[in-house]
This record gives sequence, C-alpha cells and structure tokens, in this order.
Amino acid sequence: MSEPILKTDGLSKLFGGLVALDKVDISIEAGKITAIIGPNGAGKTTLFNLITGVYPSSSGRIGFRGVSLDNISTPRRAGMGIARTFQNVLLFGNMNALENVMTAQHSRSRYGFLEAALRLPKARREEETISLKAVKYLNLVGLGMYARQNALSLPLGQQKLLAIARAMATEPQLLLLDEPGAGLNTLEKRELGDLIRRIREMGVTIVLVEHDMDLVMGIAEWIVVLDSGQKIAEGTASQIQRDPRVISAYLGEESE
Amino acid sequence: MLARARRKWPYLIIAAPLVFLVLIPFDWFLGQYTSIMIFIGINTMVTVGLCLLMGYTGQISLGQAAFYGMGAYISAILSKTYHVNPWLAMLIGAAATGAFAYAIAYPVFRLRGYYLAMATLGLGVIVYILFRELDQYTGGPDGMAGIPCLSIGGLVFDTPFKRYFLVWFFCLAILLLSQNIVKSRTGRALRAIHGNEAAAESIAINVTQFKVKIFVLSAVYASLAGSLLVHHLRFVSPQPFGFLASVMVAVMAVMGGLASIWGAIFGTAAIRILSDEVLAKPELVGWDVVVYGAILMIVMIFLPQGLFVGLKELYERWRLRYAERGAEP
Repeated sequence: MSEPILKTDGLSKLFGGLVALDKVDISIEAGKITAIIGPNGAGKTTLFNLITGVYPSSSGRIGFRGVSLDNISTPRRAGMGIARTFQNVLLFGNMNALENVMTAQHSRSRYGFLEAALRLPKARREEETISLKAVKYLNLVGLGMYARQNALSLPLGQQKLLAIARAMATEPQLLLLDEPGAGLNTLEKRELGDLIRRIREMGVTIVLVEHDMDLVMGIAEWIVVLDSGQKIAEGTASQIQRDPRVISAYLGEESE
Repeated sequence: MLARARRKWPYLIIAAPLVFLVLIPFDWFLGQYTSIMIFIGINTMVTVGLCLLMGYTGQISLGQAAFYGMGAYISAILSKTYHVNPWLAMLIGAAATGAFAYAIAYPVFRLRGYYLAMATLGLGVIVYILFRELDQYTGGPDGMAGIPCLSIGGLVFDTPFKRYFLVWFFCLAILLLSQNIVKSRTGRALRAIHGNEAAAESIAINVTQFKVKIFVLSAVYASLAGSLLVHHLRFVSPQPFGFLASVMVAVMAVMGGLASIWGAIFGTAAIRILSDEVLAKPELVGWDVVVYGAILMIVMIFLPQGLFVGLKELYERWRLRYAERGAEP
C-alpha cells in the first residue's frame, strides 16, 4: 500500500459533553476514492470539519502528506491542497457561476491590492489565466453554458456540480465531498459518479460522505464506516456489505 | 454600420459625463454649483470606502466619520500649528488614520452584524468627543481657522474654481482604483466573504485579513477626504464628523447602490443636494433624521440595489420593451 495522503491518529471531538468523534484512526490512500458512510450523527461531517480546520480537534492528530495540520488555519489548509464541498452547497449567491469558480483560483494567483488597483500587467496576465482555468473547471462539470447565470438561479443538481467545480478550481490534491448525491435524481447521480471518477483520473484523491449506497458501492474503492463517532469497520464494498457490525449499525441490533 | 456605432457607445458613455464634469465650474455653465460639487466630490470619497466595506464585503461601519475627521484634524493641526507642508500633512494623516484603523480592526472584526455596527458607532462617538475635548490641539467646539491652502509649485488652490479640479481629480482617481480592485481577485475575495464566510475560507481566502485590509483602505479614503475638506474650508470644527455624518455616509452608500462604485457619486450627490438645498431650510430643522430614515427604508424596499443600479435596470427594461415592439426602422 502506498503512502497515505491523509492520516488521522486518535482523532476526537467533543461538543460539550457530546462525543462527536471518538479516537478515530483513518488513513486515506492517495489517488483512491474513499467513502465515509454511517447513520446520521455518526460524525462524518465533523470529520470533514476537523480535516479542513473549521474547528480544532479535542485530541488526536491529523497529518496531510506527512505534515501535521495542527494550528494551520482553514484558508491555509485549502492553499495546501485540501478542498471541500458542503452538504448545504454554500455557493456565492452574489456572483455568477463563472465568478464562483474564478474566486476559487485565489490561492493559485498572486497579484495584490496595488497591482489590482493600478491594473498592472501582472494583474492582467493573471486575470487571463484565472478566467481560462475557471472556464476549464466549469466545462469539467459540464456547466460551461451557464457561466453567466447567477449561481443560485441554477437548479440544485447544477448547484452541486458548480460547488465541485469551485472546489476543483483550488487545484487540490485531496477533495472532500460532503453528500454530493443528496437531492439528485437517478440520472444526475450516475453522471455524478462518472464525474467523480474523472476527477480521480486527474490525480485527485477523493473522500466522500454519502448516504446513497448505490453511488457509494459503485465508485468507492475503500469504505470507512462510522457509527456514533467511532470507526466500526473499513474495507472494500463487498467486505463492508457482509460485515455484521455494519449491518447492525444500519438495521439495529437483532433482538433475540 | 449599426454594429460599429454600437461599439463606439462606451467611449461616448465615458467621455460625455467627463466633459460635463470639467465644464461645471465655469461661470457660463453651472458655476453657481461649484461649491456643492466640491462637497459632493469629497463626500464621494468617503462613500466609496463604505461601499467597498459594506456593499462588497458585507461589513457594516457606522463610524466612517471618525476617519474622515482624523484626516481633517491631522491635516489642520500639522499644517497650521506646526507649519508642515500640507501635502506631507495629508500623507501623514492618511498613514496615521490607516494605522489606527489597522490597530482597532482585529478586535472590531471579531464582531459581526449588529455588534459590528454598534462597535463602529461607539468608535465614531469616542473620536468625535476627542475632537471636541482636546481643545488645546483641536480648538475644541469652536474649531480652528486659518488653515493654509494646498499648492503645487506656483499653483495655489486658493479659489473654489481651482479646488474643484483638485477634489475631483482625487475623487475620480479613487473611484477608478476602487473599480479596478472590485474587478480583481481581491474584489472577488471580498464578494465571497459577503456571500459566505465558511465557503470563502474553504477556497483559501483569509477572511479576517481581507476585512481588515478593506477597513483600512476605507479609513484611508475617508482620511484623504477629510484633508481635502479642511484645505477647502480652511477651517475645521467637530461638527461635520459627528454621528449624523456617519449615518449620512451610510445613507449615501445605500442610495448609490451598495455594490456599485460609480453609484457612489449619485448617492452622495442626491443626499448632499437634499441636505444642503432642502433640509437646510429653517422650517425643516430636525427633520433630517426622519428623512434619512425614510429614504433608507424606501430605497431598501423598492430599489434594493440603489438609485443608480435601480434606474439602470428601469432603463434596461424600457429598452427591452422598445426592442420588442420592433423598433428597427
């Protein structure tokens, strides 16, 4: 097995008295599609929020490509190559689709206030690259023709694709997708699966939290199961489907 | 033919108002409005700063008059009491006001929404009281007169006619710089913060840092405007820098369309003319607060994007209807 791109060691998070994550050890293999599944409240989104630094962990460590993420802010982690989407999408409603994606090129461009204010050649050159790349990522998710539409005027399915394009425009090594399939119809879900595979082919490691088992079993090469903040199982799709702990977590304990 | 004519339109759109602006102060044109136009130019500089902060970044400030006043007083005191070159005084004022804004920005931007509004409001009140009470430096409530004029080489800006061009040079320069910033990666970062802070952070935008930067920039704009004001009036007193002044800046920004740089001129002009020409009448004393409140409500309800963008949209709608009727002759 190759070097993991992301590794958590005894990662825990307490909210007051509630244990959201309890000493979780996860290793994410580079270049793979890993799914994190589990019932509601299992701690899946909490895990994403800890990886991206939305709040600090209570104990435990997170390492990204061998570097500890302790005391590194969310924007800096994004700059290091960790991108994400949100369960509730969170697009910028005050911009069109293209601008949403252009904005995500922030850490891949350098020119500052002064260069912007005076429209120096450096600013213009970088602006050109930014818009070209933004169009590229918009096309990647198939939204090229909606570039000038306000982001929130798009239907939910396209909003979710736009959120992926925005995350991809940060040019990440690791892409965290929080319930990308929720609210999509069957056709959209199949297209989403293809898109995720295409992104993997681009060399991006993908971790997704997802409830839709068809989608998960179809694309995930490794599955981690969380329940009540603990990792109860991991393995390939067929291993997980037969695991008795997973079955009981989803269906409840069998009563004698 | 038609396509070519259409392509020439933008130049006309830029050139016509510029020519108009240049001609205003001449006596045979609109010379009698020179003075009010100078105030509109100065106020616009403050308004644009708030547009960047409030309209683009989504951060409220009800204390912009504090920075406006700091620029004014630093210029006044340095150039009059200490005989510092007025341009240098202006620069020192901008730097000091910017540094002051930077120092208070980190604690202030731990707050959001109403709390941020209250904190900046408090700041404005405190600074205003300092202007009034530090009378050995500021001249207290009576203010100080005899502030020198600005000059470049042999050109002394000693008449309103000359100062008109000086002020509008600064004003247009600031509008242009701001327009460029808004259209850049910085501008997108600011709008992203307004849109959603969590999402902005997830794409590597340092939210706090940008709020602080734009706050400092708005303070520097206001400070420059304050310096120009005292060299125009050649007098300074606390009166133009009170709480009502901060509210007026907010009303001007809202009126112009919070997220519109050029709208700032129109918003500022509309409110300035209203306050100087209408609300200054003796029988209307005290009604200004009521009128500003009403304007805020009406604009927010009916023209939420401000007067400028609102009218532009009305025009677009009219043009569309015109086109639908098959207007090609």
